[in-house]
Amino acid sequence: MRVSRLAAAMTVLFASAAACASGDKTFERQVPAEAHGVVDISNVSGTVVVSGWDRPEVSVRAELGEGVERVDVSTDHGRTTVKVVLPHSGHGGEADLHVQIPKDSELAVSAVSADVATAGVTGAQRLNTVSGDITAELGGSDLELKSVSGNVKLKGHGQPARLHVSTVSGDVHLEHGAGELEAGTVSGTLVVSLDSARSVRARSTSGDVHFEGKLARGADFDATSVSGDLNVRASADAGYAYEVSTFSGDISNCFNATPSEHGHLPGHTLQGTRGDGAGHLRLKTMSGDVQLCDRK
Amino acid sequence: MSGTGSAEERKVSSLRELSPAIEPVRDLWPQIEARINAERSSAPAAQPRTVRARAVPPRWLAAAAVVASVAVGVWIGRTLLPAARSGSGGESTISASRATAAGAPTALDVAYVPDPRYQRDRAALMRSVQARLAALPPPARVKVMASLAAIHLAKEDLESALGEDPGNALLQELLVNTYQDEMRVLTDIHAAGDAGRGI
Repeated sequence: MRVSRLAAAMTVLFASAAACASGDKTFERQVPAEAHGVVDISNVSGTVVVSGWDRPEVSVRAELGEGVERVDVSTDHGRTTVKVVLPHSGHGGEADLHVQIPKDSELAVSAVSADVATAGVTGAQRLNTVSGDITAELGGSDLELKSVSGNVKLKGHGQPARLHVSTVSGDVHLEHGAGELEAGTVSGTLVVSLDSARSVRARSTSGDVHFEGKLARGADFDATSVSGDLNVRASADAGYAYEVSTFSGDISNCFNATPSEHGHLPGHTLQGTRGDGAGHLRLKTMSGDVQLCDRK
Repeated sequence: MSGTGSAEERKVSSLRELSPAIEPVRDLWPQIEARINAERSSAPAAQPRTVRARAVPPRWLAAAAVVASVAVGVWIGRTLLPAARSGSGGESTISASRATAAGAPTALDVAYVPDPRYQRDRAALMRSVQARLAALPPPARVKVMASLAAIHLAKEDLESALGEDPGNALLQELLVNTYQDEMRVLTDIHAAGDAGRGI
């Protein structure tokens, strides 16, 4: 018995030594969590992968690179916090986090250069990165997403939600969203597909905006850009009234409608109605081109 | 009582009828003298220097009230009116007011209002943004700087276009949007520089 215990201890010792020698450490921990609680995750560099499950607990598994001090996991009054701690010297390393959370949890992730991916989370999500990319599955709850230079890829299932997405230079790709969308970028490209849109506000400075989707009855759609192009393909059971204006860009459409000019002043406008005109669609640019067509 | 005929009830028709031995209950002269002095001081030509010095504060107060009213008016105009909500540091800015129905600009269509609060906030962000940019990963820094350059170029293009068509509501709206986007980006960069510290 003593010999087997000694062997086990030696095995752990050698395993730890091997892990230290390679510079990588693994970390695993499970803590109980409320089904509708809040989960906060933060990691500077590496990856954060979050998935929802049916268990009332948070499970954390991490591979810690050299330079990572530890991972703190704590839970208090329905809030679970997972934090990758770096040494105070500021020379931090990467950590790859795999976190499983109760699917109805409210999730908040904060990262710098770490890439973030979420799947199967039906609660509200708040995801922030500086340069890391974000990939998220929409679960029918609100999503607030902010990135500086990271790219954003969102995939929904047509369940209505309120979506707020903003980047500085990162591109945004959204598929099968629904509900309300507010998206802004400076130089990134917005590519948006909504199964049913109640309200859309899209704004860019130089990035292009591509929208394809169905407008709900009475939907409101606004897209503006300074020099980026706006390309909209929309359908609406109850139709919509459209108003397109540009200062020096070109306007094209698939309705055979002719843009009007402002006399001696520069600029073009195009106005009209599709179907019953229940919704409102406004597209504005300074020098970007605008194309408006029916959704196929 | 009128039929009693007593001396107390007799009507006095002349001061001479009064007895000089009757003294007033108190010395009335100090009060009378003060009243006379007060009346003199109200006459401008006769104002002694000290009295005039006492009369000046109400005029200063009136002038101050006028200045304060003007200042409050300016503050209301700059802070509360929609035309004044945009501005830039050291640059003239243009409100998003609409052009007339005929499309011709009016005096109200373009309002150049340098908003001090905007100038202050923007200057503070610009001071810190260099350090924050340096804290970003190099590839992110390059992308963000390109975005800031895109904003700068957009502002220049819009202001140049507004020079051609000052009453253009579309350009005014886009310019206001661009100023707002610049502030959002500067704020995001500021926050991004702090992101690693809180983790």
